[in-house]
Amino acid sequence: MRRPLIGLTAYAEHVQYGRNELMAGMLPMTYVRAVHATGGRAVLITPDEPGTDVLEALDGIVFCGGGDIDPANWGAPRHPATEVDTVRDVAELMLMRAALAAGLPMLGVCRGMQLMAVATGGSLHQHLPDVVGHERHRAASGTDPLAAGAGDYGRHDVVVEEDTMAHRLFGRTLTVNSFHHQAIADPGEFIPVGWCPDDQTIEIVEHPGPAFALGVQWHPERTADLRSFKALAEASVRDRVAAA
Amino acid sequence: MRPIIGITSYVLPATWGVWTDLPSALVPHDYTEAIRLAGGRAVILPPDDHDPDVLDRLDGLLLAGGPDLQPSLYGQDHGAHTVTDPERDTAELLLLRAALDRDLPVLGVCRGMQMLAVAAGGTLHQHLPDVLGHEKHRPGPGIYGEQHATFVPGSRIAGLMGPDTTINCFHHQGIDGAGSLTVTGRASDGLPEAVEDPSHRFVLGVQWHPEVGRDRRLFGALVVAASKETR
Repeated sequence: MRRPLIGLTAYAEHVQYGRNELMAGMLPMTYVRAVHATGGRAVLITPDEPGTDVLEALDGIVFCGGGDIDPANWGAPRHPATEVDTVRDVAELMLMRAALAAGLPMLGVCRGMQLMAVATGGSLHQHLPDVVGHERHRAASGTDPLAAGAGDYGRHDVVVEEDTMAHRLFGRTLTVNSFHHQAIADPGEFIPVGWCPDDQTIEIVEHPGPAFALGVQWHPERTADLRSFKALAEASVRDRVAAA
Repeated sequence: MRPIIGITSYVLPATWGVWTDLPSALVPHDYTEAIRLAGGRAVILPPDDHDPDVLDRLDGLLLAGGPDLQPSLYGQDHGAHTVTDPERDTAELLLLRAALDRDLPVLGVCRGMQMLAVAAGGTLHQHLPDVLGHEKHRPGPGIYGEQHATFVPGSRIAGLMGPDTTINCFHHQGIDGAGSLTVTGRASDGLPEAVEDPSHRFVLGVQWHPEVGRDRRLFGALVVAASKETR
């Protein structure tokens, strides 16, 4: 049987490789490998196109990590530490609202989870250290987040609410990596179902509607724990079969 | 719904923001913009050699530029100047062959054109300066060689280009034998610059880089061929 086709929202970014520089549509391969390892086929959806018709070709979508979301979307002034990419914001907010309306299975990772809140009327803490008083949700200042793999991320537990989809997926607690300086303040239409027990930062959200819509604040694609990607792939197959 | 055009991609260690040398799937933004401006919806296809099933959801395939093809694919030993990505070769050939089986419209650019030729049984020159004695097809790092091509009257590429024969090249390999493809354009030194396969609905390869100028003639032709209305 054909694998579910999973769209991954991607960067349009000036990148360097070797001594070269170019403007590229791009995404780290960790996301691609996570989709392929859990039975899907990944395609990258670039942000330069505001139309949403591509959703008709997809069985599921991952809103991936990236830069900060423009606080203008929830009517707040910009914090000095906030760095935005408004082109990507516009494209992804439109895609997410259309995907929610269509009931397309979706996974939000880090920025993608925060987008779930903003797209449905919620808001973010623009700089988490201001709120919780510590920096443990991202790698130590000056640390290359890649130099030693996941160990360089902040690492902490997540406690999951019972009788939720997330609980069926992850159980009562799990340990996650962490690399973010913003966090959800108001989850909008999404329901918070998992928290960092140290500071009550929202770590998991899910949508109350019938379609699979899960957001996680950490980076499962950079770990061996791909339960969230597996759940997305399974929901994508299930919904396609149901629609057929 | 606009036609969906899949663009094959590089995997390269990319550096941006706080990230250093992170293996990433990427294509130059020029390609996605060229497809968008021509009325298509671009999606980027990371290499995957498992199965070409993604073609079920695509209306057209764009084989983008990239590293050299493995010479073993056309029966030669590895030359001194040849730099390859075998994983990408495997994945792209799988996609291309399946796309040709389905008669999906295919546009090949630079490496993509060379791949069309190799898939059709053709061969490549592994380093053109050794063969031609000049570097006009790649004058220097980041510099496109402007050349004038001659197109075969009545060919698809002649119809698309019209009286304009200026092309911008950046490659150090080129087509030696085009296999079952028809060579429909050549540079003044005789090197094949355009190939077509008249036995398919739309199979066109160009050795130059039309995406840099977002050339609507070529990308528009791909998008029109990929439109459900014109099938």
